[in-house]
Amino acid sequence: MWIRQAVLAGLAVTALLMATAVQAQQITRVAAASQLRFVLEAIATQYRERYPQNTIDIQYGSSGRFYAQITHGAPFDVYLSADMDYPAALVEAGFAASEAMPYAIGRIAIWSNTVDAQSLVLADLADERFRRVAIANPRLAPYGARAEEALISAGLWDALQPRLVYGDNVSGTLQLVQSGAAEVGIVALAQVLNPVIAAQGGYALIDVDVHRPLEQGLVVTRRAAQNEVARHFADYLRGVEAATLFQTYGYDLPAVIP
Amino acid sequence: MKVRFQLKRGDFTLDVAFELADRGITAVFGRSGCGKTSLLRCMAGLEPEASGQLDVAGEVWQAGHQCLPTHRRSLGYVFQEASLFAHLTVERNLRYGWRRVAPSHRRVEWQTTIELLGLAPLLNRYPDQLSGGQRQRVALGRALLTSPDLLLMDEPLASLDSDSKAEILPYLEQLHRTLAVPVVYVSHSQDEVLRLADQLVLMEDGQVLTQGPVARVLTRLDMPLAHQQGAQALLEGVVTRQDEADHLTEVMCDGQSVWVSQLNQACGTRVRLSVAARDVTISRVPATDSSVLNCLAVQIEALEADSQPGHVLIALRLGTQVLLSRITERSRRQLALQPGERMYALIKGVAVH
Amino acid sequence: MVIAGIAEADWIALFLTLRLALISTVLLLVLCVPLAWWLAFTPSRAKVLIEALVALPLVLPPTVIGFYLLILLGPRGAIGGALESIGLTHLAFSFTGLVIGSMVYSLPFVVQPLQNAFQSLGTRPLEAAATLRAGPIDRFMTVVLPLTRRGFLTAFVLSFAHTLGEFGVLLMIGGSIPGQTQVASIAIYNHVEALDYGAAHGLSLVLLVLAFSLLLAVYALNRRFRLVGVAQ
Repeated sequence: MWIRQAVLAGLAVTALLMATAVQAQQITRVAAASQLRFVLEAIATQYRERYPQNTIDIQYGSSGRFYAQITHGAPFDVYLSADMDYPAALVEAGFAASEAMPYAIGRIAIWSNTVDAQSLVLADLADERFRRVAIANPRLAPYGARAEEALISAGLWDALQPRLVYGDNVSGTLQLVQSGAAEVGIVALAQVLNPVIAAQGGYALIDVDVHRPLEQGLVVTRRAAQNEVARHFADYLRGVEAATLFQTYGYDLPAVIP
Repeated sequence: MKVRFQLKRGDFTLDVAFELADRGITAVFGRSGCGKTSLLRCMAGLEPEASGQLDVAGEVWQAGHQCLPTHRRSLGYVFQEASLFAHLTVERNLRYGWRRVAPSHRRVEWQTTIELLGLAPLLNRYPDQLSGGQRQRVALGRALLTSPDLLLMDEPLASLDSDSKAEILPYLEQLHRTLAVPVVYVSHSQDEVLRLADQLVLMEDGQVLTQGPVARVLTRLDMPLAHQQGAQALLEGVVTRQDEADHLTEVMCDGQSVWVSQLNQACGTRVRLSVAARDVTISRVPATDSSVLNCLAVQIEALEADSQPGHVLIALRLGTQVLLSRITERSRRQLALQPGERMYALIKGVAVH
Repeated sequence: MVIAGIAEADWIALFLTLRLALISTVLLLVLCVPLAWWLAFTPSRAKVLIEALVALPLVLPPTVIGFYLLILLGPRGAIGGALESIGLTHLAFSFTGLVIGSMVYSLPFVVQPLQNAFQSLGTRPLEAAATLRAGPIDRFMTVVLPLTRRGFLTAFVLSFAHTLGEFGVLLMIGGSIPGQTQVASIAIYNHVEALDYGAAHGLSLVLLVLAFSLLLAVYALNRRFRLVGVAQ
């Protein structure tokens, strides 16, 4: 009866797999917006060297998904959003153990790997040779909303409509351009400063005057109310050492740093 | 034993009651759709909606709506298609039921059954390597090996070609002689009934029309079987003499001799002869000057107009047995035939079973 | 620690994926047998309704399924909330939650092959077995299981493979917690996002090779046994 044997073997393997579940340890979990990946890895490396006893694990993803997950009990201790609205909403809804605190201000830039973007200005996007222009979805991503504002200020928004393509978030937008689906895109400065991306093409920074500032905020979540490491890391992110790295990786600093 | 069942499904209603003989083959006969198979399934407990009454070997199988589950019934069931287990060899198909019956309850010998049905060469094959006839033999063996108290067969030959039928019929006839349990045999083939059945239950539209010994039901003029195109009568007889020179065998039926083509049977063997109504001619005088071999003294029992216009069907008594004859209305008028008259039946053809 | 060019964290993700796929598939196979059986043979009018419900995970985008499971299993959800109120922990972001998520997601991939297998088997072999004294469980083990082996195999392979590659549901309900809910597909995605294509390729390759060997083994095992058709 091979079937019985197969069923038994299956159950045995299942039991074995059940038994060897990985042991959970005291880890402070950070949920961070995708575009923070490179700067946060640098900050975390520095932090781990100075405070090796504090275990920090950082997950990157969409700010909106993390917001939904935290409101449904996700085990994240610190939340770094790509905007101020989600952290404020968490505070409002009672899921935070701190105020919503700004930690950096994002910048947007024009980037392309098919033309030299360094000399481009917003007005150049009207040029018909850019058959597709990628921006992040303004409804979902703060970087998209700022790109929209910038295009409106430049008087291009209506004219560009038929040529716009939307990424889910800034990394998706960058991929649209990288793949050649769009000739040019408006993405985060933090992304195009990455050596891998910089090697593929130059960028042109978009002036801060043509859109509202892209303030990004963090909160310590309610479940981390007693978590000293979470508070410590949150403070560290807003301290002088992190500030230097944020600047290096393409962010401006909030007006008030304590 | 009494069998009674009711089953309603859609606009079809089965409502039957009949007497089942303690041994021998009871054929349930009727055209397709008359409810024969449903009746058999009710008897097997395969129709949970049915209600009725069935006691077998002192055990209550069905009482009203209470129904003993099929697997707790000591029955054998042979389906129209063999329904062998495709994943098991013939031997393991046969053992499937065999090993589920306690050794103390086994009355059928393994070896005997294998030999009786000629299964030995097939044991290691799979069902898809068997012919239709072989499959049906295995199915029969598989059912017999559970030592059933009741054997149910649902047109076991219907899906077979005539060669396969010819292959399996001898086994069924042998069964008839060796098995001491009642057999219900559902069929719509008159041929099979003539060869195998002892009792006949005639069904139509979910009801029992009549039942009785097969020779009697076949020749009742008020029943549809006698009016069929190929209506036949059954004669029972004993082999009494072999004429080697003329290649003929004499069979004695109620004291009168019937000559048939030579039979490979010893004197004293009981045989069944079937005689088609259209092969029987009637005469007031013995046929001395005719090619017809068999001329039997009979008495007219009844006459009835046939379903075919211009024809008359006549039941002829031969001792305790009855023959059928189909003649034209004109012949009946010219001969002025009346019930009770003594006549001679000239028989053109006889089939031996 | 790096083993065979793959980081330890990735091995853990891989192991977690296999564990998830196996557990949810085995549970699904067990639970779907009665459902598929009922669907195969019921004359009930509710059948079409249940069939449509079972097929729904095919229609909904995985992240949508994940979102609603998150709501359902989270601390304020109908199921998660009930667990919390009796002093247990809710199921979102746990391995149990992942198992439930991938079971919902793979449900049609198990029910449909089983239902088809049962339908093409029909009731006749079971009736034959019943007339040979086999009780209901006996019939299932000795007749249904061997004769519908291909249906079970198909269901196993589809569900297993489907879970291996699942991303959206697991990301939403699992939260990508390393060692607990971060499965291989999410780890690969993270590598891609981090522009660490080498690690992504390595992990993808191992996942593919593992999945391929397993499927090969299952199919080879099936071939070794006599190939008999169900329909006679």
